[in-house]
Amino acid sequence: MGESQYSFSLTTFSPSGKLVQIEYALNAVAAGATSLGISATDGVVIATEKKLPSMLVDEGTVQKITILSPNIGMVYSGMGPDYRVLVRKARKTAQSYFRLYQEHIPVAQLVREVAAVMQEFTQSGGVRPFGVSLLLAGFDDNGPQLYQVDPSGSYFAWKASAIGKNMNNAKTFLEKRYSDEVGIEDAIHTALLTLKEGFEGQVSGSNIEVGIIGPDKKFKVLTAAEVQDYLQEVE
Amino acid sequence: MSIYTYNGAAIIAMAGKDCVAIGSDLRFGVQLQTMTTDYKKVFQIHDKLFVGLGGLATDAQTLHQRLMFRHNMYKLREERDMKPSTFGNLVSSILYEKRFGPYFASPVVAGLEPDGKPFVCGMDSIGALETAEDFIVTGTNSESLFGMCESMWRPGLEADELFEVLSQCLLSGIDRDALAGWGAVVYVITKDKVVARTLKGRMD
Amino acid sequence: MGSNGGGFSFDLCKRNALLERKGMAPPSAWKTGTTIAGVVFKDGVVLGADTRSTSGSTVADKNCEKIHYIAPNIYCCGAGTAADTMNVTAMISSALDLHRYATGRESRIVTAMTMLKSHLFKYQGHVSAALVLGGVDLNGPHLFTIFPHGSTDCLPYATMGSGSLNAMSVFEAGFKEDMSREEAMALVAAAIRSGVYNDLGSGSNVDLCVITKDGVDYLRNHELLMGKTYQREFPVKYPKGTAPVIKERVIPLTALEITEGEAMDTS
Repeated sequence: MGESQYSFSLTTFSPSGKLVQIEYALNAVAAGATSLGISATDGVVIATEKKLPSMLVDEGTVQKITILSPNIGMVYSGMGPDYRVLVRKARKTAQSYFRLYQEHIPVAQLVREVAAVMQEFTQSGGVRPFGVSLLLAGFDDNGPQLYQVDPSGSYFAWKASAIGKNMNNAKTFLEKRYSDEVGIEDAIHTALLTLKEGFEGQVSGSNIEVGIIGPDKKFKVLTAAEVQDYLQEVE
Repeated sequence: MSIYTYNGAAIIAMAGKDCVAIGSDLRFGVQLQTMTTDYKKVFQIHDKLFVGLGGLATDAQTLHQRLMFRHNMYKLREERDMKPSTFGNLVSSILYEKRFGPYFASPVVAGLEPDGKPFVCGMDSIGALETAEDFIVTGTNSESLFGMCESMWRPGLEADELFEVLSQCLLSGIDRDALAGWGAVVYVITKDKVVARTLKGRMD
Repeated sequence: MGSNGGGFSFDLCKRNALLERKGMAPPSAWKTGTTIAGVVFKDGVVLGADTRSTSGSTVADKNCEKIHYIAPNIYCCGAGTAADTMNVTAMISSALDLHRYATGRESRIVTAMTMLKSHLFKYQGHVSAALVLGGVDLNGPHLFTIFPHGSTDCLPYATMGSGSLNAMSVFEAGFKEDMSREEAMALVAAAIRSGVYNDLGSGSNVDLCVITKDGVDYLRNHELLMGKTYQREFPVKYPKGTAPVIKERVIPLTALEITEGEAMDTS
């Protein structure tokens, strides 16, 4: 990258001290499908809309929630291709941590590493910031955790959060519904209700995705049938 | 002559009931000449984790410095102490990185896991890990240490007993090692304290 | 993470070579003298291994694990330098993990075999791992042997290590095609036992690992052949105060022991 004629960073300060490229990246996120997550007492749930550009797309081949290591899963709002770059780097990070210590990477450590990559892309030459915000759900010695990472590379742990198109409405909805004593099953229900609230059209097992991690510390993406069952419970 | 016997060492780590102990002799020599008699070969990494480094002293020191560095960085990053089992794997990884040009040191790790269970492991100079329920030895005359431990160790030793057993094994073992001896130091690690005892040994 | 981007570091090689030229022999690494074996049976693969690890003629570990995890449906027995077998299997296990995440499919045994042989061939035999790799994938049960230089064989029954001849003689006498699970387990155990009893590099116990399409049965110490044969009639008990203690100090928690001589003692 350093060799290139364009090796200067495209992300430069505006006179008012803003980095407009990062704000544009956030706009890309805000235009993306809604994703949300809730951290419960005994687990974490993350969920997202899976709206496809055409009914002709085979929805079975699209997976937005991905597993990074046995105890950590991730979802995004924004640009799919950018997300996959981060997924690849995150999985590699998790794997090299395991090779070094024979122990799964703690959620906070993986979040820090992913956030560091995103920060690097706001300052390096020849690249642009990532057009995604991430929600990471994991369970380790410190209990269940939910993290959000933004294109700037900033990250926070949340009790519940939403990103993407309807994030503000969804967050308001979550604020009303959230309680510190919520269990994973109730959290799944709340997640589905929140998603339904801003959903255009009929929610089904095939147009949303849900990933959960419980006390067994094994992250799993629910199948369409399992999601359908949960949907029936909230009706 | 093997580079392993250049300085001389005897190290034993033993597991007891909710306690663990590790000890070394105190001689530092250059081949058959004794240079100092207060050279401990066991180092503390954190409250409940010790590592013993036998082999070539210069490599053991370098390795110790690298291990302290790695543990300090880990502590800053993860805001916690390393579990002994995790530390064992880290040492193994560091050694295997130099598979084709190794440090001439063989580490012994002893510590208490967060759940209070004893953890003892050892490895060769290129990081082949061995975790043991009983004891690990290394040094210039590991055979005699092996023999002592093999007959003296038994399951469920309490901290006081563990100390006596390890001490006898170490002292008897080094009596048959010309390159190790001149007293010993033994650390006993229990849930709420660490005791270091210096032992009197033959000075020849 | 690590100070390096992975891979080996050669910065001590020159010094070590100099020491060797000056007559300082390098230390011997732990070996797994070893009898390892495997057979294909009707619905899967049985892998077996002894549990002795040696350093020269000293037994370094009386009960080590030589059957390594590769993938949920693949395991691998390792013989040779202990550190090499451990690390080469862990490395390929890690690579296959990423591969499974990327493809969303179960790993194939040939994939593991190809990755292992590429690595070993690249190091021209200096990574001294002799492996028996087995598992079950969509194409059924598979068994491979992989040599330290990177050559491989696909076999219905295979042995490796210093006890391979002992084990192979048992296989040659007793192998049948399409054996039942029990027959296969008994045959592999017998093969390992012949190594334990007749090969000095092998010893202690028999580990087995049965892999079928329905899952894995890792039978650690399937046969406990070598416990202690003697009992101490009167266990020697040292009363408190036996050892000649000349100094005792309690190291306060969260205060590290400084090891640079007595002058630093501030107690």
